[in-house]
Amino acid sequence: MSLTEKTQRFIVRNISLEDVLPSKMPVYVHSFAYLFGALTLTAMLLLIITGVIMTIFGPGWYHGSGTGHFFNSLHFWGTQIFFMGLILHLITKFFMAAWRDGRWKTWIIGVVSFAVFIPTALTGFLSQTNFDSQWVGVQAKDALNAMGVGSFFNTLNTTQMLTAHIGFLPFLAVILVALHIFLVRRDGPVKPIDNAKKTK
Amino acid sequence: MDTPSARYLKDIPHKPYDLVKELVIIFGVVLLMLIILAAVFKSPDYPTITGADVAKHQPVAYLKTALDILAGNASIQDYGPPYNSDTSNSQHFLGIAPATWGGVTIPIDPEQDFIIKPLQQMAVINPRLSPVLSTWNSASTDQKETWTTNYSVALDSATVINGNVVISNGDYGPVGEMMSAMLTLGQSGLLEGALDQNSQLPYVTNPTNSLLFFQDDVYASAADMLDLTGSQWGIVHETGNYPGAWWLNPYAIFYHIPPMSTSANGDIEVGVIMIVILLILLLLPFIPGLNRLPRWLGVYKIIWRDWYKSAKAK
Repeated sequence: MSLTEKTQRFIVRNISLEDVLPSKMPVYVHSFAYLFGALTLTAMLLLIITGVIMTIFGPGWYHGSGTGHFFNSLHFWGTQIFFMGLILHLITKFFMAAWRDGRWKTWIIGVVSFAVFIPTALTGFLSQTNFDSQWVGVQAKDALNAMGVGSFFNTLNTTQMLTAHIGFLPFLAVILVALHIFLVRRDGPVKPIDNAKKTK
Repeated sequence: MDTPSARYLKDIPHKPYDLVKELVIIFGVVLLMLIILAAVFKSPDYPTITGADVAKHQPVAYLKTALDILAGNASIQDYGPPYNSDTSNSQHFLGIAPATWGGVTIPIDPEQDFIIKPLQQMAVINPRLSPVLSTWNSASTDQKETWTTNYSVALDSATVINGNVVISNGDYGPVGEMMSAMLTLGQSGLLEGALDQNSQLPYVTNPTNSLLFFQDDVYASAADMLDLTGSQWGIVHETGNYPGAWWLNPYAIFYHIPPMSTSANGDIEVGVIMIVILLILLLLPFIPGLNRLPRWLGVYKIIWRDWYKSAKAK
């Protein structure tokens, strides 16, 4: 069997069109708790859109342009909504023990994603090129230097921080989120507690 | 279709669902929220603090900063890796100092990089500086310390008249002229350019030196006014009345708890705590007791109340 055929087989065996674009849901998927993932994902998409627009005009655009400042504001508040959705998503998934029935992989990738979002936000703050980034830079360097990270991740190197923020970290975040969603859709929504075949 | 989800949910009743419609609605709602928030509240953009700002408006603070650096008293002086090789102040935990692992990757000699080299550049414009710098460079360590100490004492009682710092006469050797030249460099707006010289000029992609120059008292006093210092929970604050990185509260709180709050190794101690918490969160599905918490807490009964109600009715 060729690699292509193996890939096809993997996809067909693991996920259907109904999984990717569901037109029906288990009846127990009926709570606000199920919205926070979509809220987070939507905010992430808007962060990427507004972020890409800002990259067109450069990191200094928003300081002198009203339009630029507006897009910076969309990006700033997008970050707030993103993390709000993320924390609510994490909390509700905890209370649902959503890792049950083999979904520990989904949980782990979710936590790893969270760990990637933190430096993504930090590098965003460092890319503002205002006093906030000056202060955050000189303060955060101490924490990162103490952990041995500062020797290659210099919070005061604005270009490195900007390229990490618009390149490496969102690339990693998107891959992790895509994997997370793949698993969510492949496995289906976890059953309510006390109603699962395995209760680990 | 015999996929994992189909097998898992085969005995569960389903209801109609429109994913695309839900995502479009959520997208629209979030976009509207963002537009309203951005239009009404805008976003913070507190201007940078530049050498020119400090030199013109706080010249004594500027000179104190430059003098501290020249005298070897700036915090970056004996910081250790990644700036210099003195590891005596590197943070450690249980005898382990990750700060030293990477070595000196951002070499900085504060006296040379922040004071002498910029003044050497100024000497091209102002040749009078050349013999002044020669006097400094050829002096003994004790002599330099005498000059800088005397100048520091004089600075404490200096006055500012029409933007000029007036210092009493004293034995400052070349330090007086050096500091005067540094102040002129700052007031001209050329400090950052002098500090961030690199081999790829005209491109300046790494302002590490100019950011470190004022990282001590100058930035700290501005941060204090804006509630951004550590003791003010600055980690989770933003300039102005804007929400900051509030999601870092679980991180910031440990900086306020002894012994981390007063420890010279506070950063690595809090860092280790964060790694432990992250590992616990990561491995929660496998940790006995913790993985049963949701069941014991019972919040799931609220999330799935309709399901339990209909199951009970049956």
